[in-house]
Amino acid sequence: MTALPAAPALTPPARRFRRLRRDYFGSPASALMTLASLGILLGLGWWLMNWALLDATFSAAATQAECVQAGGACWSVIAARWRVILFGIYPYDEQWRPSFACAVVAGIILLSCLPRMWSFRRLALTWGLGAAGFYILMRGGILGLSVVNEQQWGGLPLTLFIFVATAVAGMPLAILLALMRRSELPVVARVTGWIIDTIRSLPLLSILFTFAIVVPFMLPGFLIGEKLYRVICGAALFFAAYQAEIIRGGFQGIPRGQDEAAKALGLPYWQRMSRVLLPQAFRLALPATINQFVVAFMETSLVVVVGFIDLLAAGNTAYKTGEWKFAYVEVYAFVAAIYFLFVFGLSRYGAYLEARMNAGHRKE
Amino acid sequence: MDLTAPAIAIRDLNKFYGTFHALCGLSLTVRKGERVVVCGPSGSGKSTMIRCINQLEEHDSGEIRVFGTLLDDNLASIDAVRREVGMVFQHFNLFPHMTVLENCTLAPILVRKTPRAVAEALALKFLEKVRILDQASKFPGQLSGGQQQRVAIARALCMQPEILLFDEPTSALDPEMIAEVLDVMVTLANEGMTMICVTHEMGFARKVADRVIFMDKGEIVEEAAPAAFFEAPRNERTRLFLSEVLAH
Amino acid sequence: MPMPAAPLWRSRTTRSLLLQGGFALALLAAIVAATLTARANLSAQGMTSGFDFLWTSTGWEMNFTLLPAAPTDPYWWFLLLGLLNTLLMGLIGLGGASVIGLIVGLMRSGRNPAARFLATLYIELFRNLPLILQLFFWYALANALPNPRAALDLGPALLSSRGIYLPGLAVPYGAAIVIAAILLLGLALAIRVLAARRFARMEPVPRRVLALSLVLLAILASAAIALATHPPGTGWLSLPQPRGLRIDGGIRVQPEFACLAIAIMTYGGAYVGEIVRGGFKAVGRGQLEAARALGLSPWQVFSRVRLPLAFRAMLPILINQYVWLIKATTLGIAVGFSDFFMVIASSITHSGQTLELIGILMGGFLVVNFSLAAVLNRLNRAIALKGHNTGGAA
Repeated sequence: MTALPAAPALTPPARRFRRLRRDYFGSPASALMTLASLGILLGLGWWLMNWALLDATFSAAATQAECVQAGGACWSVIAARWRVILFGIYPYDEQWRPSFACAVVAGIILLSCLPRMWSFRRLALTWGLGAAGFYILMRGGILGLSVVNEQQWGGLPLTLFIFVATAVAGMPLAILLALMRRSELPVVARVTGWIIDTIRSLPLLSILFTFAIVVPFMLPGFLIGEKLYRVICGAALFFAAYQAEIIRGGFQGIPRGQDEAAKALGLPYWQRMSRVLLPQAFRLALPATINQFVVAFMETSLVVVVGFIDLLAAGNTAYKTGEWKFAYVEVYAFVAAIYFLFVFGLSRYGAYLEARMNAGHRKE
Repeated sequence: MDLTAPAIAIRDLNKFYGTFHALCGLSLTVRKGERVVVCGPSGSGKSTMIRCINQLEEHDSGEIRVFGTLLDDNLASIDAVRREVGMVFQHFNLFPHMTVLENCTLAPILVRKTPRAVAEALALKFLEKVRILDQASKFPGQLSGGQQQRVAIARALCMQPEILLFDEPTSALDPEMIAEVLDVMVTLANEGMTMICVTHEMGFARKVADRVIFMDKGEIVEEAAPAAFFEAPRNERTRLFLSEVLAH
Repeated sequence: MPMPAAPLWRSRTTRSLLLQGGFALALLAAIVAATLTARANLSAQGMTSGFDFLWTSTGWEMNFTLLPAAPTDPYWWFLLLGLLNTLLMGLIGLGGASVIGLIVGLMRSGRNPAARFLATLYIELFRNLPLILQLFFWYALANALPNPRAALDLGPALLSSRGIYLPGLAVPYGAAIVIAAILLLGLALAIRVLAARRFARMEPVPRRVLALSLVLLAILASAAIALATHPPGTGWLSLPQPRGLRIDGGIRVQPEFACLAIAIMTYGGAYVGEIVRGGFKAVGRGQLEAARALGLSPWQVFSRVRLPLAFRAMLPILINQYVWLIKATTLGIAVGFSDFFMVIASSITHSGQTLELIGILMGGFLVVNFSLAAVLNRLNRAIALKGHNTGGAA
């Protein structure tokens, strides 16, 4: 057997080129896919650039005729009606207040993403204070702020308020439900399991509807309260049922020995849970928890159906009334951009954390 | 707690897992300051026995008294016993989200209501004793198995227990780390700590034990002073077991 | 000094009994109190409770039904039709989402960077926007379509603000329903023969022949029905034709229905795509290398090793996603598609039988979702790798 002549060493650029050719045109099917994908991408990009930028109208003063003539997007509708979309029917002169309130919420969400904030006390304090600050800014009635009733809230701040209130009320409930489902007392564990499974198999919309319209029949007068808060209770219950299962999943990832070691040290139940098991369960369940927050944020938009003017519904009113009926794409694009900013940012952060945790595991 | 009573008095202890009879009418008395080594094949009930002493397992019948305190349906007596009985596990079970120091101070602060400064001073003292003082601010995941097990011992000591239970403390360790853990255990034994130690380390048993107990199928088959136990085992099962363990 | 005798609340057994009893009693008390209050409030408004209303006629109309319905029909019939609509929407939505998800997921796990980028773009866009926003967008788009007179001509189909008009088989409506049911049944039986363990001892070839003949039988039966009911002297295909202000012939797909279906399919497709990708990622490198080392062709590696393993990894998560998508059909109420939830809501406004109808709503969704989860969990257990942990889902 003769020795094979040594293959000439490939220079890095040549190797890179070969890899590119293999990836993009490795087989006829792959080549076809490349061409089709690139065609779609370029076509979409070209159209989008023309529509959204080159042929678009930006001036708030532009009329429908001018918009149609330009042929592209009519961003004039946003320029003219952004206040309605963002703040709904909140009194015009007071709209600096919801702006600040939104900034507060953005602040607490950003703060919560810092790992140094991850202790129960700090998170509870941030979210509790944040929610209170938001409420005072929006509702007024003290510090010389005029009273603005919940019925006048709308747009982005209403969306954010429902989200924050759902999370603040839902998270402790979720912890409670998770602990009850893991309880050593069979009746408590079984019944809690039924409750969680039932809530999880119901559509959120039906729960919101029930809390908005049906629950008032079932409560004595003094407990009925504002419709907004009842709907938030419903959303929190739904959030808690899902989050409880996520926490339970976290619990299942903790080795048995942790609880035994805590017992052997003489720690009583609540201290075992709060100091030893829950922190670990949350750490394990962190990616799923962030995902649940993302879903909860998107689901706040369902309150449209029970008659609230949140960001989405405010967008609807912005183009459905008056002369902007044709500009629905622009309005939805604007609203979608706001949702996307929150949701995409949060879910990217979750993916980053998950990757970091996985890397950490591999090191150990 | 009556410190003049026997440290541990077990009478006619029975424990079932479903239909499996894990402990069959076991009786055992341990005096204060005594060092007992328990050995036996896997599944013989040795771990179950010591886990009953601090009620990580509930026994089905029989009587366990720790310094005279009867372990029964009363939750207060379970709490009291767990305060006085420390335990070291096979898999260390350190809390991974706390530093070494926090692991050691958690229970003294929460259970014994020791002021934080005092608890930390105490923890540092015991960490020094297990020769791991320099790692106090690290997390368990950053330590080797032998270091983790020594922290686990320090954590148990910080509650200043009257009795220490060891549940196969060296079984999960790489061979080169076993010695450092055994050294610490020998030091403790020499200081007069009451210890019950489930282990297969026969060298350790020979060196420090006052009594060696051999268990099989949920019963105590043989108990004797180490010299007699190793030189002249009376029971056939003990002899078989010893020949297998000592062959390696 | 022995411990003093245990006070009652420190005894393990008594405490456990007290806690459990207290929990059960508190829950029971809350339910009873809520029911009593509701009774009192409702009777104060002059309403009777009970399920008798189910047999009274509704007096209103449903805008979309699979089977005939009139305002004189009773409530139970409307509710049943609503449930049927939800199931139909669920079937179409789940099916569409699965197909889109499979395509997008495969594109994302493939090697081709251009396709991967396109799929990523799709997933990130559709997954990160609220479903109801997407639904509103599609609905606004549908409403902005030209009226029937100027309907967009897409070959055999027509697109207008009144809906999508597709070419259909020229048979009476009832016959079409029976044909659809027979075809579905035939397909389901064939899949069962191919997949179920009960037939595992059959040789592959007769097994495939049996499945194929089942499908053929269904097609034959359908053809026979079509032949028998087809009005003679007309064409076999009924094509939509613009006639002045309306469109005749063909099958009209209501814009509400079409928009909800599109929204659920595209949104669900993005989620399923991520699940599919996760499934492929979960297949160990070692297994693929072993398959290649055995000399299997790329297609064999994919179809015999990669796909089966990936499917097992994704099924438990897929079950939860399917349950979620079925629940998403309730968004029909936002655009006016008569799904189960919308029928319930309309019934509440018209009859006022709030508690009973909410009970029926809960019962309906519990039955649908639990049976869906039960079927899929059974499938999951059947295909689970023996000796591995099977992660079933609720």
